[in-house]
Formats: sequence, structure tokens, C-alpha cells
Amino acid sequence: MKSTVFWGALATIFAAGLALTGVVQNEYYYNALYLILQGTLMAVAWNVLGGFTGYVNFGSAGFFALGAYTTVALNKALGLPLPLLILVAGVVGGLVGVGLGYLTLRLKGVYFAIATLAMSIVIETLVVNWSYVGGAKGSYMLTPDTHLWFDSYIQMLFVVMLLLTLAAVAISRMLNSSRLGRGLSAIRDDEVAAECAGVPTLRLKLVSTSVMGAMMGVAGAPFPYFVTFVDPLSAFNLFIAVNAIAMPMIGGTAHWIGPVIGALLLGTTQEIVKVTISSEMNVLIVGVMLVAFITLAPQGIVGLARKLRRGRPK
Amino acid sequence: MKFRILLAAVLTAFSFAVAAQQKPIKVGFSMALTGGLAAGGKGALIAMEIWRDDVNKRGGLLGRPVELVYYDDATQGANVPGIYAKLLDVDKVDLVVSGYGTNLIVPAMPIIMRKKLVFPALFGLAANEEFKYDRYFQIMPAGPDPKLDWSRGFFDLAMAQNPKPKAIAIVSADDEFALNAAAGARANAKKLGLNIVYDKTFPPATTDYSPIVRAIQATNPEIIYVACYPPNSVGIVKSASEIGLKAKLFGGGMVGLQFAAIQQNLGPLLNNIVNYDFWVPEPTLTFPGVNEFLAKYRVAAVGKGVDPYGHYLPPFAYAYLQVLGQSVEATKGLDHGKLAAHMQKATFDTVVGKVKFGKNGEWATTRTLQVQFRDVQKDNLEQFSGPGKRVVLYPKEWKSGNLVYPYKQ
Repeated sequence: MKSTVFWGALATIFAAGLALTGVVQNEYYYNALYLILQGTLMAVAWNVLGGFTGYVNFGSAGFFALGAYTTVALNKALGLPLPLLILVAGVVGGLVGVGLGYLTLRLKGVYFAIATLAMSIVIETLVVNWSYVGGAKGSYMLTPDTHLWFDSYIQMLFVVMLLLTLAAVAISRMLNSSRLGRGLSAIRDDEVAAECAGVPTLRLKLVSTSVMGAMMGVAGAPFPYFVTFVDPLSAFNLFIAVNAIAMPMIGGTAHWIGPVIGALLLGTTQEIVKVTISSEMNVLIVGVMLVAFITLAPQGIVGLARKLRRGRPK
Repeated sequence: MKFRILLAAVLTAFSFAVAAQQKPIKVGFSMALTGGLAAGGKGALIAMEIWRDDVNKRGGLLGRPVELVYYDDATQGANVPGIYAKLLDVDKVDLVVSGYGTNLIVPAMPIIMRKKLVFPALFGLAANEEFKYDRYFQIMPAGPDPKLDWSRGFFDLAMAQNPKPKAIAIVSADDEFALNAAAGARANAKKLGLNIVYDKTFPPATTDYSPIVRAIQATNPEIIYVACYPPNSVGIVKSASEIGLKAKLFGGGMVGLQFAAIQQNLGPLLNNIVNYDFWVPEPTLTFPGVNEFLAKYRVAAVGKGVDPYGHYLPPFAYAYLQVLGQSVEATKGLDHGKLAAHMQKATFDTVVGKVKFGKNGEWATTRTLQVQFRDVQKDNLEQFSGPGKRVVLYPKEWKSGNLVYPYKQ
């Protein structure tokens, strides 16, 4: 996709989102869209490490919760506004991402995945025992009365999440098509060969883990304002981690557009199923779609589309 | 005379037919039908459907049939804001009530408050403490100061003994409810000048409780206050029996000991434990309509994987809708301002007794019972359906027996 088309598309989507808030008053759609966008941002973030670099992260919920609890802590301590909270959550997530990279740089494959899961559990244990942010009891976040020129706070949250998601997609695309991205691909394909070819694998892996961590922290930052009550059970929810893996797998991990397609498809299905069948069905849907795609289309929707295009007679 | 009876019958039938044809009054809510609180949520839903059927049989509310519109929140708070937005903006429900439990009530509050709706809530512990919303009405009879009132009876019973106990152990799971209950117990203990010899928490996923019970025993407390959820309660009671825990008063805030399946599982191990409850089938608590409701519940509950007797949550799920229904009838409309004003001042006759709300939306006076298990036999579920197995010790007006003290296994 050409750069002008890409940036034009992003600007159009953002403008459409803004226009939507002027036309549609129904809050349900903003709630549903917020969750779909949150899922998209998490999927894009996961794909930076899992898809581009080939390091599977099972601890996404830990990074997401870091963002959420950064908001809780700083809101309580300093009463910072939402944009600053998002920024700080991104920095915290990025720093923990760098830490994760350093601590686990000798681990690969399943061992790295287990380490990320362990990290998430460690963070959860710390939060459970940190009474300042509510500990195991959880913490309330009252929705502020001011919401700029929007009709309601959820409209503003939707626009904020749209902006963050579009920014994450832009960063993901830049990484994917840059020299840095090619280095990440080299690590994914064969790390030893990449090292021998002069690719600075350690540095690139640290960039990858920090970008992933920062994006996930940013995704979690507005969450306390969305639910108004954050406890470890909701912030470290396994479903957040499962979705963050499933969405890129379904969409395709090799290309920046893959997690976006997967997230929009899975997220929309989940939101529809939630109010037509049952919220619990979402878990089954994720499972079935994941098994189906891994079996029938291991490269995801993007891979399937490429295969079909290649197979088409010219 | 015959003509009049016939006329009355025709008019009644006509009014029912009209009610059936009129646009229904929609009551919307989210409910935990899957996930961690599903067992309670499904039982609550059965109770709510019984209320709907009872009301519709009587001709509906304001002559209109009642319809329940609900979605499964899967016991996940993140699902709740979207569900209430859908209920209000897409389904256009007329009234809303909460789902089951604090964590699932709170996420609905912003949208409810913004739209200034009355919000009857089901079993939230101090959920309105931060919001201070004046249209929130919570049906669990924890009282105006839920954290303290939860354990007040337990301590009053202890301090009525001669000689008065001096040393207490407080142990709780590391979760939202248990920590709140333990905080209340701690405050009560300090107020009474008790010496807290053990005050610790344990992770909710704990499976081996022997080290905890042994550590408590090593401090020689006379009273042991436990606050935790069902799996922990079962583990603590079993460990206490295995180790031969010695104390004068044992129990307090264990969730799960109110459920028939757990009562059957623990059997005689429960004997003489003093624990909180909200309704038990004792003669002092036979409020009008409760037995009829429970008879319907037992039939409806068959094969649905819920508590077969439904003493704990279902009567209150029925009652919070009774409060709403009676308010609609009294104000003759669906104006939320008038409904809230009525709920703030009225006393409601429900299957769980007379309900009067205080300023913060909690019951004006606590009715958190302290009950003691007595003569519980092994492998006998039926014994829990009637009186005598959970004797009410506190509050005095509902008392059905005296405390067996000190606690002996």
C-alpha cells in the first residue's frame, strides 16, 4: 500500500470516527467499538513481538494491567489528565518491556512464552499486595464530569482509543516495512543466521519488546475509566491475553494488516455474540476460530488471500 | 349475584387480555450466567422469572405485562457497561436492575447515574460508597454500614459470654469481599478492645489450609473470624476438623456455608460453627410469601445446576423486583424521580420481610443474621430444607435458639 493511500485512509477513518460522535448518540455502539478497538490495539502490539520477531508472548494481560494500574496509581496520587496518564502508561509498559527483553534474552520458543506468562503472574502478585491501588479489593475510578465537546465520556473514550489504535497501526506498518522490520524478520526466520549476518539481534529484540510493552500499556491506560472499577481479576483477565494472540493468528502475523483484520473480525463477532447468544460463547468462538485457522490457514487471512492471488490464473 | 360474578369474571379476563396486548414494561439487567458467579446468577434469574410470571398472572404492572431483558455478563466487569448501554439505547428498557455482586454492579453505575435511573442492586457490598448515588437501592440486608454490620452480630454474641473472650484471630482470603469483611471485623475487634493475635490473608487459590489453621491454633485465639469465598470456606472447615482446631467461637464471614451442596458436603463438620446468613428456614423468619416462592423455586431449579433450596440469594432476587414493582404501582408510572422518592421513604413488604432503605441505599437497619449449625447429620441434603439445622442467634428479634458455647467439633 502506498504511503499516501495509507495515511489518507488513517485520516479518513479518524475523521469518520469523529463524525460518528456527532451523528450517533446511542452509547451502546461506542461501548462495543471501544472494546473492538482495544482488542485491535492489543493485537497490533502483540504482533510486533509475536509476528514480526517470532517471540510468542503469553503475558499480554500483564502489560495491559500495567497500563490500567498506572492510571489508577497516578490518578490517585497526582490527578493527572487522561492524555498524560496514557503517555506515562506507555513509558511504564515500554520500560517493563525492555526489562523483559533483558531478562529473557537467552530464552527462545516455548521457554520465552512461559517466562512472559510468569512475568504477568509476578506483576499480578505485586498488584494484589499493593493496597494503594486497591490490592485484591480493587479500586474505583469515577468518570470525570468533563468530556471536551463530546456528548458523553464514552464518546470521548472511543475517539481516544481510535486515535491510539490508528497510531499503533501506523507504527506497526513503519516497523514492518523498515530496515528494522527486516531485521526482526531475520530474527524470526533464524536468529543465529541473523546474528552471523550482522543483524544486532539483542538491540532489535529490545526495541521489539519495548514497543510491544508500550503499546499494551497504552491500551490498558483508559480501561479504568471504561469500567470504573478495576480489580486484578478484570485487569489481568486471561481473555485479554487469549484475544491478543488469537486475533493476529486469525488475521495473519507476517503482515501489519493481519492483526487488524483478525481483531476487527473476531472483535465484531464477539460483540455481536455477547448480546445475541452469550458472553461465554466468545471463548468458544475464539477457540474454534483459532483451531480452524491454524489447521486450514496457518498464515491467517492475509496468507490465505496471498495464496489465492498466487493461484489465480493470469 | 350470579350476573355480577360473571361480569366480574369477564371484566377480569378482559383486563388480562388488554394487559397481554399492551406494550410490555421491560426490565433490563446483566446477570452472571457463566463464569465465577454463575451458580448464584442462574439461581437469581430463576427467582426473577418467577416474579415476572407472578406479576403477569396478576395482570402485570400498570395493566401492562412485564418482560425481562437480560444478557450474560460472564462474571466480567468489562462486559457490563456495554450491556447496560445496549439495554437502554437499543432495547429501550423501561427499568433496570443490577446484576449479581459488587464487581458487576459498579461498572454499570456511570451510565445509570448519567441517565438518572433508579437502580435496585443485588448483593453489592458497599458498592455505592464512592458514588453516593441517591437512586441506588441495595437488597442485601447488610445494613447502613455494611463493612461493620457484617460482623457486628458475631462480636455481640462473643462479648455476651461470661467470661468475655480476649484474644481473636482474623483470617481472610485476598479478595474484594473477604478483605472488606475482615476490615469490618478488625474495626469491631479494636472497638471492643479485643487482642488481635493473628491477622493474615491467604491467596484465594489456596488448596492446602493446614498450615493456615495450624498457624492460627499456635496463637491460641478464643475467637476465630474467617472471611472467604466457597472453595476457601470448605478447605478451612475441613482443615479445622482434621487438625482439631480449638476455639470458643469459630466462623463469621464464610461464603458458601449457606449453599445446600456445600452443607451436604461438609455435613457434621459444620456443627456449632457460627456464620453469617440472610435467610434460613427458621420459624422466626417465615415472612408472607417466602414459602410459596421457595416451593416454586424448587420446582424450577430442578436440573438447572443451581442450589436446590435457594435460601441464600433467590429470595432477595425476587424481593428487589418486588420493591421495584411495588414502587411502580404506588407511583402509578415509570418516572424515575418519583420511583426513587418513593423507594427512599416507603417500607416494602417482600418475601424477605419488611424492607426499608437508608440514605446510602442500604437497608436502614442491618439484618445480617448469625446462625449456628446444629445436629447436622452425614449425607443428608433434605435436612437443610427445614428448620433446626441453622439456628438464628442474632439479631434478637429473629432469634430462634441459644448459642452453644464454647465451640466444639
